[in-house]
Amino acid sequence: MAATVVARGNVSGLENKDFEKLAVPLLDGLYNFARWLCGDADEARDLVQETFLKSLKGFSSFREGTNFRAWMFRILRNTFLTSRTGLERRNTQQEDEEGFEESSVSQETPEIALIRRANTELVQTAIAQLAPAFQEVILLADLEEMKYQEIAEALDIPIGTVMSRLARARKQVREHIVLTLGGRRTVGVK
Amino acid sequence: MTNCEWREKMGLCVDGELDPREEQAIGDHLQGCADCSSAVLEQQALKKAVRVAGKRFTAPPELYASVQRQMHPKNSPGLFARPWLKWSALAASAFLLGVITFGLLSRPSASNATVTQLIDQHVIMLASVNPVDVISSDKHTVKPWFQGKLPFTFNPPELAAGSPFTLVGGKLIYAQHAPGAELVYQVRQHKISVFIFQSRDVSGEPPAGNQTFVVNGWQEGGLQYYIVTDASREDADRLRELLKDANR
Repeated sequence: MAATVVARGNVSGLENKDFEKLAVPLLDGLYNFARWLCGDADEARDLVQETFLKSLKGFSSFREGTNFRAWMFRILRNTFLTSRTGLERRNTQQEDEEGFEESSVSQETPEIALIRRANTELVQTAIAQLAPAFQEVILLADLEEMKYQEIAEALDIPIGTVMSRLARARKQVREHIVLTLGGRRTVGVK
Repeated sequence: MTNCEWREKMGLCVDGELDPREEQAIGDHLQGCADCSSAVLEQQALKKAVRVAGKRFTAPPELYASVQRQMHPKNSPGLFARPWLKWSALAASAFLLGVITFGLLSRPSASNATVTQLIDQHVIMLASVNPVDVISSDKHTVKPWFQGKLPFTFNPPELAAGSPFTLVGGKLIYAQHAPGAELVYQVRQHKISVFIFQSRDVSGEPPAGNQTFVVNGWQEGGLQYYIVTDASREDADRLRELLKDANR
């Protein structure tokens, strides 16, 4: 989905119907993202409802020229991070990031065929095993097809961090697939 | 394998984050570098795999309804509008005029509110650029698509080779606080909407319709069926019989 930027001049007089027009098409994506974050259907539903409530209340202060989709995802993520599950996962995220070691890049030929053979369930397992910080970046980039700048706005992190987390996330998904299907211990990274 | 200076740009390339000049340069480079070409193919395959696998959850109809209520706290939830509905200005004007005219002329009672909503839903389907969520003429594709999305199941009829009816597809709808299925059939140049819900105590035989649409309804096996179409009453009756046979 293309980024939705509210153009200059459209902000004054924004009403609920404008919010509805912009926000409702994002509901499915927000819910899917919330499910991945929460891991629970009821919690994800509550999270999306709270996100809509907060964003509707704050819509009058929505800044012109900014990306509405990134704004909505940011509200959802911030709401999640202040929840009990979010706080637990944030701790996990910090541990994972601190403990992450950049491995040297080897030069092995990529196992493209293995990746193409990977079924949905295997890839879902690989995504589910990612640290939260990597999971959210890869979902926003590859599923929501957000640009790096949009992801940076949604997650409130520098664009360089987006790029590095995305690269690491993809590397880990790739490793999971190749190790599971190929059974190899050494996995080259392009 | 060489360690190209371009290698670290492969992710940017696949994500469409390169500027036009770099894109041109990397395109030229890929023509002559098998390793980088493989790397791009791998990144593309990975991105595609994540995109397919990542789309794992669909927002339930109740959530759409809850959000609609949040946005319209003083109004009844009304007909749930799918997020991807896009009206062309012309179609919207024409159909809305028709609906308003119908509303003014017929003034349906509260007991007919469901039928009024379903006629609206049929009109929206006709005007939509995406009339169905699952596109298939195969009932064995359409029926499983609803599994897990609705708290009930049903059997679309098996259409014979010479049948005038063609299944177009289906989609989830939400009307009168209840999730339901809309199956869309084509008969000649007309579309027929078949709406299926769980039966409720207040359900009954709907009115015969109006001058514009034929409305046909019945209960079968704990489910409430409605047909709404601008095709002939005979066509509606024939499809009704096929549906009844399939669900006995």
